[in-house]
Amino acid sequence: MSTKPRSEMSLGEKMQSVPKPILYLVLVLLTSLPLFKELNVPNKPNEASEDFYATVMAVPEGSTILIQSDWTGSTRGESGGEFESLMRILMRRKIKFAVYAAGDPQAPQVVKDSISRVNDERKLSGQPGYKQWDDWISLGNLPNAEAANQAIANNVQTAFPGRKAIPSTGGSPQDVFDSPVLKGHTKLSDFPLLVVVTASNTATIAIERYAGKVKMAQMVTGVMGPETLNYYPKQVVGLVVGLKGVYDIETLMEGGINTADPHTIKDDNGKFQGKSVEGFPGELNKGKATRYYPTLHFAFALLIIAVLIGNIGMFLAKKEAGK
Amino acid sequence: MNFFLDIPPATFWNNPSGSNALMIRLALALLIGIAAIFVLLKAPTNYRRPIVGVVTFLSGAFYVMLYLWPVAISRNKGIDAPRNPVEGVAFWLDDAVPVVANFTSIVTAFLLGLGVYSLLRVHGRKVMRKETDWVFSVVLLSSMVLMVFAGYGDWYSRLDPIKAPALELRENWGPINYLRDVLFEGMLQQMDAAMFSLIAFYILSAAYRAFRVRTIEATILLAAAFIVMFSFMGSVEAAWGHMVNPSGNIDNFSNNFTLTEVAKWIRGSIQKPAIRGIDFGVGIGALAMGLRLWLSLDRTGGKS
Repeated sequence: MSTKPRSEMSLGEKMQSVPKPILYLVLVLLTSLPLFKELNVPNKPNEASEDFYATVMAVPEGSTILIQSDWTGSTRGESGGEFESLMRILMRRKIKFAVYAAGDPQAPQVVKDSISRVNDERKLSGQPGYKQWDDWISLGNLPNAEAANQAIANNVQTAFPGRKAIPSTGGSPQDVFDSPVLKGHTKLSDFPLLVVVTASNTATIAIERYAGKVKMAQMVTGVMGPETLNYYPKQVVGLVVGLKGVYDIETLMEGGINTADPHTIKDDNGKFQGKSVEGFPGELNKGKATRYYPTLHFAFALLIIAVLIGNIGMFLAKKEAGK
Repeated sequence: MNFFLDIPPATFWNNPSGSNALMIRLALALLIGIAAIFVLLKAPTNYRRPIVGVVTFLSGAFYVMLYLWPVAISRNKGIDAPRNPVEGVAFWLDDAVPVVANFTSIVTAFLLGLGVYSLLRVHGRKVMRKETDWVFSVVLLSSMVLMVFAGYGDWYSRLDPIKAPALELRENWGPINYLRDVLFEGMLQQMDAAMFSLIAFYILSAAYRAFRVRTIEATILLAAAFIVMFSFMGSVEAAWGHMVNPSGNIDNFSNNFTLTEVAKWIRGSIQKPAIRGIDFGVGIGALAMGLRLWLSLDRTGGKS
């Protein structure tokens, strides 16, 4: 990098040495401004997100699924949106769930606060809230993912010994496995689905311990996406990756899935079979992703432009030096 | 006396709550634990390494056996009896999994206590001696104490058999619940998010200054990165898709060149195999390191 004063620099050199404060200021402006106005960005949900949505929508109403939630505030932009969209779908479809953490001691509290927010949202729109004990159960945190997942794979009930909760009608704490949520559930295969919402490598640990024992879908951060994509669609039947993945889910919640499936065999008219899953049109489907996606858009655009400016600057500087 | 949870069915690892058999086992476990710590503390330094080695080997051997030993299929716990010694060991291993998981959970949980002890020791000393920036240590320690107080207060308020269900609704919260919410959700989680978001500045600055197409490899990398980034931008994806395949018919050959398909090809045909290769290498490395640790072949440190 040139150490000359800026006034003596050539255009190429100037383009390669935009001061950091200017870069940072542009980034702050570009990522903050879209938050003040709702922008509808066109979106085509990817197959992994569609499969995730279809998998959750195929869970029978009234049944109980297991959720492993290993995220905290640091990735709430992605994981928070993922978890809240999952909650909205489950609550609308009256699917019960038991949630535990195996990656971070803060996670169970973060989950409770998140459920509370979605419950408040439902209350505002006149829908009944989801009650702890009747509709969902927190199984807390197990501090060692490998051993915890191994124990859960062996027997869900003995993996959480002594977990108690107060019934929704009050009274003394009772074993969570006597609750309407978990009664009769002892093995992983008793659950129609396990969803892992994580910001860390507990995604792969869960695959190592659970694959083949339960149908599994995952919601991971953009950073964990490439790693987890290796296991889709075999071990992980549906996968939501990062903010784009949540935006996909929010799009699907509004419009459902109604597309031709290119993986099917064409019918007599030369058409692929259709993939059709209903959505929740008109309900509150837009969440964090709809608010944050334009920001991601602008951040990517800035990153691409910055790299292009730097490279054009390099070529100009080389050209000027060769004169 | 029901201090302990009954976990049916009874196995080698549990007994009915309050039973004499359970009490005897608890007393024995306590005595063995105290004796083990005493022996470890009193053992000459050159004997400590073999003791740690044996414990490490036994701990590792459990999971190795669990993986390699034949598993009893469709076992009905508490009813089925093993038909031969091989099945007997399989049953024993099966029953021991949650117990060993609890062992590891407890040992891991000790790290939390160790962390708190370490923080108190380091920052307490800094405050007492009024070393440089001791004020920050005061902020850290007082934040920790306040968070512990609010956290336990909130937890305790939710143990009330009558009031607890009502506390699911925010309007029924008391001051301690609001204090916990402000400290945990209002401050800690927001600061966590703010810290993490700083990465965006580093990424932008580093990419701008370092990402130059000086070689063919760098050019390929940049092109792939641009395509994948563009594929995350809905408006670019839609515009590109409309340009190469205006009809949107998935039967058209041009559909292969939409941003979605090109990015999918990069992910499926280049990224996935590369990551699998890396994972395979990492796996072999982890296996080699695991074997060294398990068999105590690592000879660095620990010598008197």
